[in-house]
Amino acid sequence: MSDVRVRVTIHGFEHGFEPIAVESGDAGDAPVVGTAARATAVRVRSKASSAADRAEGRERYEVVVDGWVLDATVEPAVLAALREKAARGPSEAGPHSPVSLRAQIPGRVVRVWVGLGDAVEAGQQLLAVEAMKMENEVRAPRAGTVGSVAVAIGQTVEVGDELVTLG
Amino acid sequence: MRKDAARSRRREVRDAPFRRVLVANRGEIALRIIRACHEAGIEAVAVHSDADAGAPFVRAADVAVRIGPPPAAESYLRGALIVDAAIATGSQAVHPGYGFLSEQAAFAASCEAAGLVFIGPAPETLVALGDKLAARRTADEAGVPIVPGTFEALESGSPAAMKGIVDKAEALGWPLLVKATAGGGGRGMRRVDDAGELPGAIASASREAQAAFGLSAVYLERLIEGARHVEVQLLGDHEGRIVAIGERDCSVQRRHQKLAEEAPAPGLSEGQRRNLHRLALTVARKVGLRNAATAEFLLAPNGDVHFLEVNARLQVEHGVTELVSGVDIVREQLTLAAGRPLSAEVRRAADRAPLPDSHAIEVRISAEDPARDFAPVPGVLSYWHEAGGPGVRVDSGVEEGMRVSAEYDPLLAKLLVVAGDRPKAMARMRRALDEFHIGGLQTTLPFHQWLLRQRDFIDGRLRTDLVARSWSPRPLWEDAARRAAERLIALAEERSPAAPALSTTGTVTEPERGWAMIARREGVERWP
Repeated sequence: MSDVRVRVTIHGFEHGFEPIAVESGDAGDAPVVGTAARATAVRVRSKASSAADRAEGRERYEVVVDGWVLDATVEPAVLAALREKAARGPSEAGPHSPVSLRAQIPGRVVRVWVGLGDAVEAGQQLLAVEAMKMENEVRAPRAGTVGSVAVAIGQTVEVGDELVTLG
Repeated sequence: MRKDAARSRRREVRDAPFRRVLVANRGEIALRIIRACHEAGIEAVAVHSDADAGAPFVRAADVAVRIGPPPAAESYLRGALIVDAAIATGSQAVHPGYGFLSEQAAFAASCEAAGLVFIGPAPETLVALGDKLAARRTADEAGVPIVPGTFEALESGSPAAMKGIVDKAEALGWPLLVKATAGGGGRGMRRVDDAGELPGAIASASREAQAAFGLSAVYLERLIEGARHVEVQLLGDHEGRIVAIGERDCSVQRRHQKLAEEAPAPGLSEGQRRNLHRLALTVARKVGLRNAATAEFLLAPNGDVHFLEVNARLQVEHGVTELVSGVDIVREQLTLAAGRPLSAEVRRAADRAPLPDSHAIEVRISAEDPARDFAPVPGVLSYWHEAGGPGVRVDSGVEEGMRVSAEYDPLLAKLLVVAGDRPKAMARMRRALDEFHIGGLQTTLPFHQWLLRQRDFIDGRLRTDLVARSWSPRPLWEDAARRAAERLIALAEERSPAAPALSTTGTVTEPERGWAMIARREGVERWP
């Protein structure tokens, strides 16, 4: 695995400290700190991600190490590289390419709020899948137009099944 | 439901000192006092600002009264409103906690004028001790050694007057401190190393004191380098009996703000302890002290003891003395305020105080960033998990999801441990710190993690400038950032085979999935 990039910044630091970027491929030279006895001294919690984060496969975490509260992002290195390239160049790839939303949990579709051709906003509810007696909403990762709805209420879905595409 | 609980408490405790007490404070200390009230069979009334409407201390109280908007000047510092609330709720006494109105003689007097018992020393005692110069004169007259310095406020209006001050300073010797006669907490205090710095230091200390306490008067004190801060817990009843139930070391400070405290003060002989307690009692008797107070001293490297001041109230760090002495100081304050004599338990604790047989440590967990000079960090506590287990006590005023306001003191909780001796207490504190987990905003936890592994602290080489000389956070947070990155990479590698492929065409992964896997992984690590 060499395709993830991790960025860690100290919570609250506005200036004077460069963010640390570690490519997993070249992390070998960093000494491993901490002993087994203090394994719980590093704790990771996910944070809310924006629609843009989700669209770009970026995850945000709060990592607490020995009481230091750190902000971290994890994203595919290839996307990070593309994003950096896009930021340098005039054209931006990504935001307007079609998005296929797939089931992340097996379950039963219990609600469908949108239909073909509907304009949706980022974060808008599209449909809900019930699993383990919990309704899990699927929301639009960005604004767009519904290109297709592949499922109907009552239908059972497996992980990876296509649900909706956004154009 | 609350009323039923209050009724049953009254039934359970015979001979409660009061029926109902108003707590004129907020946060962890308000909750601490409410707990003592309930154990003593007393109903507790909380007063609160809008910022604290849903706070744990408000919910713990039997009655809650809103007294104003968030700023302290419009709520917790409005003595007249608090007295009105006490009367309206049928309270018989007012406990002021620490800070806010706790040492204001005018507030204590207005409580008494309204027929309420002020739980603390008499108003006259607060006047005598509130002015540091008066306290210095009192101690000096009682034969208690004070820090060398002036007995009068400085008059620096003219060049001739300034010349007189410089002469006084030269006589005292450099370096020295310009100190405000009012207040505390390090405000209105300046270090001066030579005559050139003196006029500027006097001007800025005066301005700061005026802004903080409404009194600009300052005086000079010699700076005793390498000194420790030790203080003695005092309790007194209405019949004039006063005892010392032990001392604390509070040398771990940053700009005169205490960060960690312990009891007993390590490394003292029985003779030194007895001497300290005797000096504290001498000052206390001179001012007719009753209820609870703390006499503060500097302990010089050569063993000399210098009286600093008396804090005529409950101290933030009273808990370490409670853990070592076995006395519930707040409950004792309640019975003493009701006019009852010192309990047998307190008198026994006083007898044992020169020969302590256990050790307690406290660290203050505050919403402050120790990497940025302990700047306050308001925000939301997105995660809050307290330490537990044997010998651990947490006095906390917050809970998960709470917003930490910039309006008030950033103290969130006090983590205390007690064990048979100091090394065991330190080991217990290290273990408890590893258990304590806070997310959402930066706290002082990393400082305490460092402190409990710092050589001078471990060896008991305590001095008030330990933090200023040794605390350098950058290598610590850089190391923390690297460890965080390593952990995230390891987690990403682990879940990569199962995770749906990420492609540049924009297939979306559900972030919760990643988190769920991390949570499982963390769970596995905790239970190998």
